[in-house]
Amino acid sequence: MATDPTAVPRHPDDPHTHDPEAHAIAHHVDPLWLYLAVFGALIVLTVVTVAASYVDFGRANTVIAVLIATTKALFVAVYFMHLRHDRRFNALVFVSGLFFLSFLFLFTLADTSTRNDVDDYHGKSTAEPQAAPTSQPSASPASH
Amino acid sequence: MTTSTASATDAHEHAPGEGHGHEGHHHGPAFLAHHFDTPEQQLDSAKLGMWVFLVTEVLMFGGLFAAFILFKSFDTKVFILAHEHLNKVQGGTNTVVLLTSSLTMALAVRSSALGKRAATTNYLLATIACAGIFLVVKYFEYSHKIHDGLLPGDFFANPELPRSAHVFFSLYFMMTGLHGIHVVIGMGLISWVLWRNLRGDFSPEYYTAVDIVGLYWHLVDLIWIYLFPLLYLIG
Repeated sequence: MATDPTAVPRHPDDPHTHDPEAHAIAHHVDPLWLYLAVFGALIVLTVVTVAASYVDFGRANTVIAVLIATTKALFVAVYFMHLRHDRRFNALVFVSGLFFLSFLFLFTLADTSTRNDVDDYHGKSTAEPQAAPTSQPSASPASH
Repeated sequence: MTTSTASATDAHEHAPGEGHGHEGHHHGPAFLAHHFDTPEQQLDSAKLGMWVFLVTEVLMFGGLFAAFILFKSFDTKVFILAHEHLNKVQGGTNTVVLLTSSLTMALAVRSSALGKRAATTNYLLATIACAGIFLVVKYFEYSHKIHDGLLPGDFFANPELPRSAHVFFSLYFMMTGLHGIHVVIGMGLISWVLWRNLRGDFSPEYYTAVDIVGLYWHLVDLIWIYLFPLLYLIG
């Protein structure tokens, strides 16, 4: 099917274009500099996350990496994937997917990260199982 | 209200200059499928369908991310030792390559929207080239892992790492492998769009295929944005 330029032009009063927003969505074009700026930001954030991996922030390592990744993902979704010009419903669909994914992470981590906190038999904390066993007998009867 | 709607429909059914001698009372531009009323409706449906598909992709990879976090919490020290066998430079290079391909893909969509067919062709070719570079780097990474015996399950044969490190490499190959398959499929899809662009299917009024394949390609990039720090960087 060859392009037929006469096939498309629509008048504002054409019954096809009763929804002015749809027209704007289909034809909105961002300027070139915006794409280049977003790309620049993505590269800078990549350099930052690699550089940060050479520094030990302890438990914050993961948080920093995930925050930087999420910032990058937002840039890609909002600008490259045009969510900012797209129908809000599409963004809602995408965010709802992430929302339900968060349940998977939340409940999995709620289980595994607290699994050893309580000893089933003694009802006491075993958070530090590596503690010298010789010192425990004196401490445990007093605490519980 | 009812009468005006009816008359509008009537007018549009018999609109002069539309129809172009298509079968029966097919109306509207050539790219408009007969089961849609308007190009806007067609575009909205295509985009919504794609976003729903992307959600299923996110959930599929999400399961693997959850598995990775779970197994890492079981055997954190070994996971940290194992991740040091991944090459940050190669992983970082691939991140930059994929981000570049995302830029060229976005610019291909933009050129399509502006009706610049030659520019669209060039940007699509650049995107395919970046995908190719990504896979070549991946090939070198995989070769190195295979050479060092850093393999999943029973195939694990690295003397430096504890045996349980095979779990890390099972997840590494599963996640990067599934992502790699997406890159290969993406190359196919972009090639298809390139062919249609060369054939002259697209115009500023209709470039949905470029748009939709672009969304897919950006998601492939988006997943790598999380894979890279999770596998290569977090110690």
